[in-house]
Amino acid sequence: MKDVVLRVENLWKSYGTTEVLRGVEFEVRRGEVKVIMGPSGAGKSTLLRCINLLVRPDKGRIELEGDEVFPHPSKSISSIRQKIGFVFQHFNLFMHLTALDNVRIGLIKVKKMPKEEATRKAIEALEMVGIGKELWHKYPAQLSGGQQQRVAIARAIAMEPSIILMDEPTSALDPELVGEVLRVIEKLARNRTTMLIVTHEMGFALRAADEIMIMDNGVIVERGSPEEILRNPKHERTKRFINSILGRVA
Amino acid sequence: MFLSEFTNYIPVILNGLPNTIILAFGGFGIGLVFGTLLAFLEVYAPKPIASAASLIEEVIRGTPLLVIMFIVFFGLPELGMSLDPVHAAIVSIGIRSLAYQSQIIRGAISSIPAGQLEAALSIGMTRGQAFLYVVVPQAFRIAIPGLVNQFTIDLKDTSIAYAIGVAEIFTQAIHVAQVILDYLTPLVFIGLIYLVMTLTVSYISEYLYRRYAIPGLGGGG
Amino acid sequence: MSFMERVIEVVYNYSPMFLEGLKNTLVLTATSFIMGFVFGALIAVGRVYGPRPLRLILASYVELIRGTPMLLQLFLVYYALPRIGIILDPLIAAFLGMGLNSAAYQSEYLRSSIKAVPRGQWEAALSIGMTRWQAITSIVMPIALRSSIPALTNELVYLLKYSSIAYFLTVVELVYAGKIIGAETFAYLEIYTIIAIIYLTLSLIITRTMKNIEKRVMIPGLITPSARM
Repeated sequence: MKDVVLRVENLWKSYGTTEVLRGVEFEVRRGEVKVIMGPSGAGKSTLLRCINLLVRPDKGRIELEGDEVFPHPSKSISSIRQKIGFVFQHFNLFMHLTALDNVRIGLIKVKKMPKEEATRKAIEALEMVGIGKELWHKYPAQLSGGQQQRVAIARAIAMEPSIILMDEPTSALDPELVGEVLRVIEKLARNRTTMLIVTHEMGFALRAADEIMIMDNGVIVERGSPEEILRNPKHERTKRFINSILGRVA
Repeated sequence: MFLSEFTNYIPVILNGLPNTIILAFGGFGIGLVFGTLLAFLEVYAPKPIASAASLIEEVIRGTPLLVIMFIVFFGLPELGMSLDPVHAAIVSIGIRSLAYQSQIIRGAISSIPAGQLEAALSIGMTRGQAFLYVVVPQAFRIAIPGLVNQFTIDLKDTSIAYAIGVAEIFTQAIHVAQVILDYLTPLVFIGLIYLVMTLTVSYISEYLYRRYAIPGLGGGG
Repeated sequence: MSFMERVIEVVYNYSPMFLEGLKNTLVLTATSFIMGFVFGALIAVGRVYGPRPLRLILASYVELIRGTPMLLQLFLVYYALPRIGIILDPLIAAFLGMGLNSAAYQSEYLRSSIKAVPRGQWEAALSIGMTRWQAITSIVMPIALRSSIPALTNELVYLLKYSSIAYFLTVVELVYAGKIIGAETFAYLEIYTIIAIIYLTLSLIITRTMKNIEKRVMIPGLITPSARM
């Protein structure tokens, strides 16, 4: 029985009078890849940001590998975040650092690794995502979107987190660059990396996800295996959402 | 305590207020008129004149106000021009102010799209008319925050006129301090006066900016 | 004797005095800029990331400094501090006053540069487990400082010119040196023209140097507001 890496219970979050998360609940076990899909404004991005406490939920419980993250963290927030990898829609690579330094800085400053060891691990991560030596000393502005996102993924995996959260990792990319990033994520999935991914990429979800959760209006309206959800959606909202996505992209 | 002794001298300090205001407005006024002229020359005049204007602006901007004041007050008499302290101070502040205002106005003018000037010329205006009726009104709205900031600087720097013996509030405060042997109280007192003046100026400027704002016309601030 | 001849004569006879003035001017400028930078950075960080009471105190300090003349601040440091037992050498009082003044202005430039750093940089820093302090020092500040270079250059040139205010504290900087020479030669126009030229040359050197520094530390893709105002 695989252990539970992430447990989210009854999560609520409002901004003013707008309820963005209304009692969200789920688990992610080790090695699983779970995908969250839904219309914009459904709260998906907020959900991810609550898990690594970039946003503070109003109510609920979050547990990472048995340790409580919210409401009463058992450790400092920064040490909890070391175990949660986060890949942003807009990459957010540190603009003043080279690709190599972007991946290295967490290892050096946060994990307090000596420089040689940090460099070794950083290079490993960069090679895993297919970023070759000629790009290591380039600055983010000199890289394509796909390259930047892959470096961002390397930055996350170098920290050896227990789970990686991805917030629409390909939505900000030009279409021809989406494939190279999805391939990297699928490779991570094959390696049994525990991931929770928000995305619209149907094909990817079918290939790589263990479970898809459909979110709408702050709640998970339906969940199931990719085949169940995509071929046989039960809820009206799910059906509408699937149709809107399929109508847009093959 | 000290306070009761000081209150007797408050009128002495306040006697300096008229000069502070005259220096500030006079200096800024000179700066506005000649700064606009200089800006016009730098942007629209033929190359040699524009370059000369630019040089004048840079030279003045690179010189401390105190040095300008000494040149005007102590140096000009050598050339036959003798000014009393108050006039020398106004002229000095004016000279410094015009250089900075020119820079501010130039920046505002260059942020106005070239198409505006072209359109003005196309309906038959001369360069001077185009400048006066099309460019200046727009440029001023954009320049308001910068110009108000410059006025605040001119106002605070009236204190430097202490060096040539103008009886503005700083000078008066120092004289009082030397008499009652207490610097703290007079200085704090005029500090409050300066604060009230600068805060008033910034409130007025916000009011002006909002009142004369044109929808769609951006500007610094 | 013509103007130029008198100028050359003054320079020739009084260069030690000019140099003494120049030395103190440079000392004042450099020390007050550094002090202003260190405290300005702390104030800026405090105003962006600190708790509300701290932000209010710091904001009041900045408004107080910006609303009053530097000359007044220098006099307070030099003449009023003795009331509570602190007696300072004029040069020290001068750069202390200038430094406290500069801190307020530099904090404004740095504050706006910090706020201009995209929020995503901050979020990414936190996401890899950095503490807020690490995120500020390793990620936000390196970016903010680079984009502050034009404004800080302006401030440095401002301090150069405002060092002349130390004249009032009897510090022998350039203007005071000029007064001393003037008392002996009465060649005021010549003297202050020379002094103006010295200031101009110094500001040119400063701006040229800072532009070079900016080029060296510039990162591809980092957009800095190079427009001076």
